[in-house]
Amino acid sequence: MLEVKNLDVAYGRIQVIWNLSLNIGNNEVVGVFGPNGAGKSTLINAIVGVVKAKSGEITFDGVPIHNQETHTIARGGIVVVPQNRELFPAMTVKENLRLGAAYIPHARAKMDETIEYVYSLFPILKEREKQLAGTMSGGQQRMLVIGRALMSRPKMLILDEPSLGLQPSLVTEMFQILNRIKQDDMVILLAEQNVRQGLKVIDRGYVMENGRIAMEGSIEELSEDEHIRRAYLGV
Amino acid sequence: MLAAASKKQYLFIALLVIAAIVIGFWEPHALIYGIQRGSLYAVIALPLALILGILGVLNLAHGEFLTVGMYATFVLFSRFGVDPMLSTVPVTLLLAVVGVAVYLLTIKHVLKAGHLSQLLITFGISLVISELIKSIYTTQPRGVFTTYSYSSTTLAGIRFGTYEFLYLLIAVAVLVGLQLFLKKTRLGQATFAVGQNPRGASIVGINVSFVYLFVFGLSIAIVGLASVFMVPRVSIFPGAGTPYTMKSFALTAMAGLGNLNGILLAGIALGIFEAVVNAIPGGSGWSDVVFFGVLILVIMTRAIREGRR
Repeated sequence: MLEVKNLDVAYGRIQVIWNLSLNIGNNEVVGVFGPNGAGKSTLINAIVGVVKAKSGEITFDGVPIHNQETHTIARGGIVVVPQNRELFPAMTVKENLRLGAAYIPHARAKMDETIEYVYSLFPILKEREKQLAGTMSGGQQRMLVIGRALMSRPKMLILDEPSLGLQPSLVTEMFQILNRIKQDDMVILLAEQNVRQGLKVIDRGYVMENGRIAMEGSIEELSEDEHIRRAYLGV
Repeated sequence: MLAAASKKQYLFIALLVIAAIVIGFWEPHALIYGIQRGSLYAVIALPLALILGILGVLNLAHGEFLTVGMYATFVLFSRFGVDPMLSTVPVTLLLAVVGVAVYLLTIKHVLKAGHLSQLLITFGISLVISELIKSIYTTQPRGVFTTYSYSSTTLAGIRFGTYEFLYLLIAVAVLVGLQLFLKKTRLGQATFAVGQNPRGASIVGINVSFVYLFVFGLSIAIVGLASVFMVPRVSIFPGAGTPYTMKSFALTAMAGLGNLNGILLAGIALGIFEAVVNAIPGGSGWSDVVFFGVLILVIMTRAIREGRR
């Protein structure tokens, strides 16, 4: 479904991603693990067109997207849940959700139906639908931004560290919800530092270090790897 | 953007009404003139605030676009005998086109370049426009005379001009129009979203560059609309619009960014204030000093208060 080939990304002279290739198949949930600064967010930004690739190719369903703008990519079916949330703080929860669907034609038609689905995943959003997004707690905002992304009826959902900054009980809840979204046949690219939780959701994963893919494998391969056990799982 | 009228705003309205009543008894002309001028300031300030709020660009060429509108109205009148009121549509459309062209040629390319580059480029645009006008029409002042623009009426023994009440009408119409646009239309909601978070807007599929283009074009069109109605009452020369840039900025700063209703209130307040200062014998030269003195005070109070937070 998504294919990244020989991607190089640089901010000015500083190259952040080196010759990176990965792919995500239909009905797959793929994890990208790695420490802070490994280039996970930059990879995501390159996929959704926020930063332009220096070289390499990104295709989605066979269509090259690396020269498209973010809004075109979103309309094409890739929607991102950014790390720093990027909500509309002066709008209510419901307005934020509706905006997720309003500018994507196929999502707009199903707006009411999707909003019920989002409310079933995150009942707190229904309770707070009239509250301004900017006045909610960090955890609630994280749920809202995932809800807003689902409102766009994406073909593929990209999550950039959805558990970052959440209290431990919420982290567990968050991954339970991601599992539910997965069961509803969503293709997901999940970037995480929390490998232990991430492994419960993904089908397959990559490990990124210093802007390169250091390892690729199934859940078993990743969880049995000596380096990963020591560096990420603390075993 | 678009904060609903807060408690503070109601307090301000109450104070404004009380001040207006007091001034109305003391010097009714100052009150009437102040409301008229203040409304005009507000119409011109609204588009500046819109560009600043959505694009984040302080457009120093704002007043020069006003001048372009005035000359366009003047040319239509002197060459083709078109009454200024009939120029409303063509001049507004012309300015929309000028705005879009200027945006595509210049502003678009400095949106990510930082505020200093933006200020410099809009300052450059202002110089280019005023020099162009000078070379085509010289510095000789021009005017458009219409009889209706000097019509007046007498109410309760006070004689005052009626034409400039049009400014209040237009200010309210533009304000209501903008609010409806932002709240009720899809493009307006997109604009509102872009003003809060451009990256978030692009993630939900909003074409942010188009919103910027549209907002700039719309804003300059509103400037054009204002210029048409000013023409019968002002003398037209290459620097005629220039002072309105800083006045508009003053109103925007006083109202607080994104507070469109506040701009009309601030405009009327400052209009009355200015008229009162002018009404004091020997005070006429002081109005700008007072105007910008108030601005500096407001900005400083706000800065100190935010610093304490």
